[in-house]
Amino acid sequence: MPITFIDIERQKSARIALLFIFLIVMYFFVTFSVFFGVSFFFTPFMMREGLFSGPSLLSVGVIFLLSLFIAACHFWFSSTNVVSSIMNKLAALPPDPKDGLHRQFLNIMAEIRVASGNKAKMQCLVIPSLSMNALAADDLKGEAVIAITEGLLSRLSREQLEAVIAHETYHVLSGDCRETTLATSLFGMYVTFFEKMRDFSDDDRRGDLAPSFLPLWTLLKLSELLSMFISREREYRADAASVRMTRNPLAMAEALHLLSRNWTGGGMISTGLEMLCIVNPVAGSLDETEGWWADLMTTHPPISNRIGLLLRMARINPATFEKRRQDIGGPESTSWVPGQWVGFALDVKKQWQGPFSMAELVTLPWLNPQTWISSNSVQQAVKASEIDAVRDALTERFAADPPASSFLVCPACRQPLREVAYEQTTALQCDFCGGLLVDNSRIVRIIARRAVPCTERVQALARAVLADNQRAATMRQLKKAGRRSMAGYTCSKCSNTMFRTFYSGAYLIEIDRCNICGFTWFDADELEMLQCLIENKITSRIGTI
Amino acid sequence: MIAVVWILVGFIALILTWALYIYNKLVTLRNDVKNAWSQIDVQLKRRYDLIPNLVAAVRGAMEHEKTVFEKVVAARTRAMAASRMQEMAAAEASLTSSLQGLFFVIEGYPALRSNENVMHLQEELVSTENRIAFARQLYNDLVANYRTGLEVFPDMLIASAFKFLPFEYFSAEALLRAWNPDKFAGYERRN
Repeated sequence: MPITFIDIERQKSARIALLFIFLIVMYFFVTFSVFFGVSFFFTPFMMREGLFSGPSLLSVGVIFLLSLFIAACHFWFSSTNVVSSIMNKLAALPPDPKDGLHRQFLNIMAEIRVASGNKAKMQCLVIPSLSMNALAADDLKGEAVIAITEGLLSRLSREQLEAVIAHETYHVLSGDCRETTLATSLFGMYVTFFEKMRDFSDDDRRGDLAPSFLPLWTLLKLSELLSMFISREREYRADAASVRMTRNPLAMAEALHLLSRNWTGGGMISTGLEMLCIVNPVAGSLDETEGWWADLMTTHPPISNRIGLLLRMARINPATFEKRRQDIGGPESTSWVPGQWVGFALDVKKQWQGPFSMAELVTLPWLNPQTWISSNSVQQAVKASEIDAVRDALTERFAADPPASSFLVCPACRQPLREVAYEQTTALQCDFCGGLLVDNSRIVRIIARRAVPCTERVQALARAVLADNQRAATMRQLKKAGRRSMAGYTCSKCSNTMFRTFYSGAYLIEIDRCNICGFTWFDADELEMLQCLIENKITSRIGTI
Repeated sequence: MIAVVWILVGFIALILTWALYIYNKLVTLRNDVKNAWSQIDVQLKRRYDLIPNLVAAVRGAMEHEKTVFEKVVAARTRAMAASRMQEMAAAEASLTSSLQGLFFVIEGYPALRSNENVMHLQEELVSTENRIAFARQLYNDLVANYRTGLEVFPDMLIASAFKFLPFEYFSAEALLRAWNPDKFAGYERRN
């Protein structure tokens, strides 16, 4: 029995061979039925010609060889480049080292690598989605990947994320993820194909599927049996291994709890990938039940059981856990002490911020010599450059770290844009009109993160704008004008026209998008409004107009 | 007579094979421990390099907190100078606790928390702290593994014949990471 984590034996799984046998049997039945279906069709003809013979040993042998050949081809084609094709399907991207949370993700990966004895070589990727899930994939070439959604990355604490990554690392190290990945890819292509067919037939109102899809349908039903191979136990084992690595059962329990209470990606993570995930993205009726039938037909154990086991490891009462979980997140305290120098500063949105002590003021990232400062020592507001202490500090700061300005100009007012930190990533802001130019890949990240709470003003504004846009959109639809994208600003980068559309059908916030450069322009407050709408789940309601 | 000789030869061969196997196993375990130790070293160096940067970044904004800085800097110097294992473990523990004090103070300054550079450095240091803890956890696990290999009978015969020496644990504190009461503050115990 291995004592430490690093010498867990990689079980060279016999199950991969089992999968192959399953594949052969499946193809054998399909080919067999097709062959005899066809021969049945021709029976009258063959009877007349005297050619008919029943299923002979020879024909069965030929069919067997044929199915062996097809199975081998299938196995070969679907086991090459599995990981990259799965990741393409999910549009996963490597983490951005300039982004605060992504850097934390990279750091945690490095930590877990240390904890597991520097054995695992794993790539890490981020899935740009608001859902909360994590998955690991590993193919026969040994290309291992751990992917985490933006939603999970932004809503878990550091310790919880550590536990989740340790869990996924165990899947890769123990090798159980390899057979799961292979199983996914072996049958995934049929599932995708079948779903496309169904969509296609729905569109044309042709009713149900044509009978020619019967073999395909059989394949699909057979592949559903695949979940029998994937045991529920492996999730329990990975949870336990995560505890062994991080020695923190509570964080794992909390992470699972959060996962169970949020959207885990049903509809986004395509069918066939659920068994790679940490929790099942598509909820099923058997998920939270036990017994041999549920064990056989599902891929994940009940989350309540998993949390229960973890809490037992931490020796914590489930009721206390529930109570404590609601208490997490108290009010924040400020370090302001009366009697000291206190200043307020006017920010780029023309709002007074503060109170700050001098030491705090000079570290404000948006402070520049032109910022208006009012303080308890001077009656009038003055420019920051007129206060000696602030000027000295700013001089020092600019000498050490010149501000990152951009060569791009604002699409609305043609002023140079400035790079600003926004929700732990960066965006380009126009100081003049307050608009933001955001790389499309960062929009999901910004929306997923909730470090900056939305103010009441933004919320009220968002509701008003939403109602207004809803009315306008409805009017347009009534007039049969259809969806239109209107030409607006010119792109800062390529000087082509940007298109003005709504962010989505539900969140009617106007944005300007350059389809060539992949930039989106938000006028002042628009990005905050969008964040606010999505965070508070405010959608347009038909009844309100 | 010849049969007896053959049996004897076979017996000796068996013993030799067993001895070889145990010897190789012990060498592997020992090398694992050494490797884990070098990992701790790498992470400690990383921490020594990061600390001055963080101190420089936050010093300007926290004039009143001189004692905290002094503690961190002193602990760092002591840890870097330590040579013996136990001495080093103690110095590292005090460095960890003084750094935690610094993080705690930083938490009280909203302006520092919104400073990108400080947050970056703090994240790097937190990550390094974790890596050290994990490396130490691994080292101790491996030492335990190796020590078991040395002490079980009859492997101990080989171990003592070839002078395999036990390694020290990094500190008892690392083993306590498995059950850290502070981590579960706010929860009622089940039993």
